[in-house]
Amino acid sequence: MSEDDIGLALQMRNVRKRFPGTIAVDDVSFEVYAGEVHALVGENGAGKSTLMKMLAGSFDDYEGQIFINSKEVKLHAPTTAKKYGIGMIYQELSLARPISIVENLLAGRLPRKGLLLDKAAARKQALALLKRVGLEIDPDLPIEDISPHEAQLVEIAKVLGNNPCILVMDEPTSALSREEVERLFAIIDTLRKRGIAIVYISHHLPEIFRIADRVTVMRDGKKIATKAIGEISREEIVQMMVGRSVKEFYKRDERQIGDTRLKVSGLSRFGFFHDVAFEAKQGETLGICGLSGAGRTELARVLVGLDRADEGRIELDGHEVQGRSMAEFLEKGIAYLTEDRKIEGLALRLAVDENILAPIVDRLSSSAVYSKSKGKSLIERLVAELAIYPPDPGRTVGNLSGGNQQKVLLAKWLASAPKVLILDEPTRGVDIGAKMTIHASIEKLAREGCTVILISSDLPELVGLSDRVLIMRKGHFTREMQYQECSEESLLLAANGDAAYGAVVGSAGEANGATAAGSAR
Amino acid sequence: MHRPGKKNLLALGDKFRIYILFVLVFAFMSLFAPRFFNVFNLTSLLKSISMNASVAIGFTIVMICGQLDLSIGTVITFAGVLVLGLQPSLGFTAAAVVAVIAGGLVGWLNGLLVTKGKINSFIVTLGTMTILQGAIYQFSGGNSISVSTPEAFVVSDFLGKSLIPLVTPRILISLILVAIMEFVLRRTRAGRNFYIVGGNRSTAWLAGIHTDRYTIVAFVLSSVGAAIGGVFSVLESTSATLKLGENSLMYVISATIIGGTAMSGGKGGVLRSVIAILTLEMLYTGIILFGLGNEVKIFIAGLILAYVVLYEAYATWKHEKSLGQRPELMKELAERAALAARPASAE
Amino acid sequence: MSDALDKRSLDSNSVGKIVNAAGSYGIALLLLALGALLQFTGVIHSFLSVQNMLNIVDTVALVGIVAVGMSFVTYSGHFADMSVPTTMGFTGYVCIELLRYGFIPAIIGALVVGLLIGLLNGFVVGKLRANPIIWTLAVNYVTMGVIRLIWVNKQIYPDMRGSGQEAVALFDNIYRFRFFNLIGLPVVILIILVIAGQFVMTKTTFGVKVKLTGSAFRAAKFSGINVERVIMAAFVLTAFTATISGLAVTSLSRVGAWYNGAGYDFKAVTAIVIGGMTLAGGRGSILGVLGGSLIIGILNNVMTLLGVGTFSQDMVRGAIFIAVVGVSAKSLRSLGRDDA
Repeated sequence: MSEDDIGLALQMRNVRKRFPGTIAVDDVSFEVYAGEVHALVGENGAGKSTLMKMLAGSFDDYEGQIFINSKEVKLHAPTTAKKYGIGMIYQELSLARPISIVENLLAGRLPRKGLLLDKAAARKQALALLKRVGLEIDPDLPIEDISPHEAQLVEIAKVLGNNPCILVMDEPTSALSREEVERLFAIIDTLRKRGIAIVYISHHLPEIFRIADRVTVMRDGKKIATKAIGEISREEIVQMMVGRSVKEFYKRDERQIGDTRLKVSGLSRFGFFHDVAFEAKQGETLGICGLSGAGRTELARVLVGLDRADEGRIELDGHEVQGRSMAEFLEKGIAYLTEDRKIEGLALRLAVDENILAPIVDRLSSSAVYSKSKGKSLIERLVAELAIYPPDPGRTVGNLSGGNQQKVLLAKWLASAPKVLILDEPTRGVDIGAKMTIHASIEKLAREGCTVILISSDLPELVGLSDRVLIMRKGHFTREMQYQECSEESLLLAANGDAAYGAVVGSAGEANGATAAGSAR
Repeated sequence: MHRPGKKNLLALGDKFRIYILFVLVFAFMSLFAPRFFNVFNLTSLLKSISMNASVAIGFTIVMICGQLDLSIGTVITFAGVLVLGLQPSLGFTAAAVVAVIAGGLVGWLNGLLVTKGKINSFIVTLGTMTILQGAIYQFSGGNSISVSTPEAFVVSDFLGKSLIPLVTPRILISLILVAIMEFVLRRTRAGRNFYIVGGNRSTAWLAGIHTDRYTIVAFVLSSVGAAIGGVFSVLESTSATLKLGENSLMYVISATIIGGTAMSGGKGGVLRSVIAILTLEMLYTGIILFGLGNEVKIFIAGLILAYVVLYEAYATWKHEKSLGQRPELMKELAERAALAARPASAE
Repeated sequence: MSDALDKRSLDSNSVGKIVNAAGSYGIALLLLALGALLQFTGVIHSFLSVQNMLNIVDTVALVGIVAVGMSFVTYSGHFADMSVPTTMGFTGYVCIELLRYGFIPAIIGALVVGLLIGLLNGFVVGKLRANPIIWTLAVNYVTMGVIRLIWVNKQIYPDMRGSGQEAVALFDNIYRFRFFNLIGLPVVILIILVIAGQFVMTKTTFGVKVKLTGSAFRAAKFSGINVERVIMAAFVLTAFTATISGLAVTSLSRVGAWYNGAGYDFKAVTAIVIGGMTLAGGRGSILGVLGGSLIIGILNNVMTLLGVGTFSQDMVRGAIFIAVVGVSAKSLRSLGRDDA
């Protein structure tokens, strides 16, 4: 052990993990100091998640060495990893839905008095943990009765409860509101001061510049570089991630905006959103901006016939759209790309072509006999247009990378040739390359006259793509902004509906500002 | 401050559904059914549930773990046939022990196939059910087994004689088993772990809980409970028919679901299931006491199970629909309704 | 490189399908060879006779008919329809009861009853998302209760001397009629159903929708597929084939009894699963299921000839059932396709 190793909480030396046919992590060395927030970035499929799973003890056959506090350990089971003080906050929640918050927080280590459970102590411990993440909630409620972002905070509290010395966070902010993100950053700061080593995985570069001390970039299973955050710029990180320089992200072309296509008036689904009214024109991209839980997805579900409105009217090209099922809305030309890719979006077990043709099964058949070959040229065109890799329509979707899965999802809705396409978080969690392709495709779609309704939490995306943005807050439309007035800051403030709040997000806003300037206007 | 839990009257009623139902049925039968409310009838009521009560214990735990055990009915018969078949050579105690152990082995096999073999529990237990059915007929030659030695009658008399009013040793055994398991499930860490395993396997796994072990134990408990039920039932009646456990599967499934144990796992309790069994038995006894036939009983039993499954499905459907409703919007709605109502009332 | 190639070839769905389908026929052929071997070595007799082969296909037909319908439920990701036994029993009763009004009304009556049970199952499972196994088990018991209530715990027999003799004779022939004095009507029905079923599953819009629903229920729903209707249709198809098989069984035994369909739920599931259809849904084929039915039929026949009792046959069948599912689950896992 050399002098340098002192203070190293985690050291992974030349680790490698093979899967049948690929090497997911190839000879990576990675170090994290105690009291450091170390960002880990890379496109999807770069090997970040595999590297962290290794740390979590998910594999018993990795190669290389792992040292924790300068002692070599074999992390071959999650229990071992936990024993060495490694805590993981996963992107997908790992909570048991029917179980109470208390038991979720203290799973596996419920306090005992002798042989029996000590319920009072359990409750007390749970409340203390919830307080650390600033969540005030009855801890006896089951997870299924609380909202998704509350659940995300419970998840964080749960991992903190294990007193980890190394904490891994994989996209912890994806389900959180801005306010909650700030709270999380405050928590991370306290943890850092207490000497905990934190690995922070995120696609959100402003977040990284805000919170990280050092950053490691991975690409294709290899480590590209580790740099102190002050010594590197956004553009350099992006360049290292994609391995090529990124041109300007958004270019606004001339757009032909036509007549009113979709007209919504007085639309309500009680308890979810009330009195929503707007018009969207042919060839227009209409952004909807709001915090999570503002009712954006619920609105989309009603617009496509998945849920029924309690009041109000939806008109398409001057005719009222009515129907009991999504199939009827789809037939009239209203399509919906869901926020959730893996369960609601794609049939992961089926092939690329089967997924893409799913919405047009009826259209490809004549008198109930299905003809897949009719869709062949369409598939080929879409696979080429979206650069789906590998370009093989017979490939099982579950084996594609996240970015390519998202492209398949978009291809599926492009195939249905909609008049109105509602996109709910079309680029969540995908790498930059896929994002660019998807954006180009959305712009092309609008140019061809389709009305695009874009629901997104990715502010640069909203600013860059929308002609107009509607602000949704707590179930109401509160404001409409033309693209000239849109910037990340203005949208953020409007979505939060609170002028004073601007001070709190100021620093995040600055980092975001760089993107706003970068995106062509 | 703390967001209050859903503790309105309706939710409370739902939570204590089975206890309320029990009281209602008991009151109704006591008042209206002829010859219902007397020590003799109530004792025989308790006697007739003691088998299914012990079966329900383990079955409930399997359901809490998020699995299904269709083999319980045949395990009952299997254990019953085994104890009387082996008794001449082994004696009562050893035969009973062997039968219960054999039952436990079936459960262990079920659990092993589900966890290590990674086969759906529905398939596994449907398979072991068929195998056991064959084994039962093989072992018994297709006939009922009965014993009529004086010794057998001594055992039978002992098990069936009231210690205090309403309680015979066999009833007592079932009650003790229920009490122990209810206590374990509620108040020990191991007990709570069954819920966590059923609620979300990966949560449990990540928390260092041996999910496979708990699942196997659940299946063993299920089969052991069924075997104990079968053994004591046979010992008291001194005969084992091949239809002994025939109706238990549906009886116990109904009761467990009526008792509020979730089909998807992670929720429920042993006592609730047993109270549900008692409620069902009162209902069936009542049907017979009112002079209606066995066919009515079968019909009603099916109807109750169907109703409960339907109700659960409907409630989940409804719950999912309203998930994520914003309270302040609902308030706004109420205010709007009040506003609309006011001018009308003023006029 | 070779790794990547392997992955590619395993990836293509068609190869897997052929292996699955051929797999069940391979086993069936192996069993036939085993029977032949046992005959040549003198252990059993008359296995290779025409009469015995007819016996095999006759029994296969009754199970196979149910299995073809139930395959759609399995394919749609809803495991199995456990209400098959009493559906078969109930429709048998109804048919015998209605024979006095003529053969055609009796058949139609039975089909209508079957259809109603299927619709009920489909509605509750498809729309309300009830657990399919527990719900259909419940329906099985309710139907049992209905049968017992209506016919007060009695079996009924077709009236051989009354007015509707012609209808009774026709009814009697459902099982007994033989084309060219050789091939029984149920076998012909099975062949028609298998061809039709295979066509529907692979070549029609409905088949594609069932596959999508079975592979990913929510994704299918969010693709604008009317999943409720798809599931309803799957259960109706099951009830339809169960009714046909129920009529054949009732015709065979010449008695309407509540236990007429007993065990057919399990036999059908076994045939489906051995035929390579996975319970996770969206995988397998009707041809494979036919192979599965053949395996069970030949196996039972060989065991009967060997003098193995009916009940020991149960044990063997149960064990094989578990083993096949175990092996197929394992092989799917090793292909990285286990996502159930």
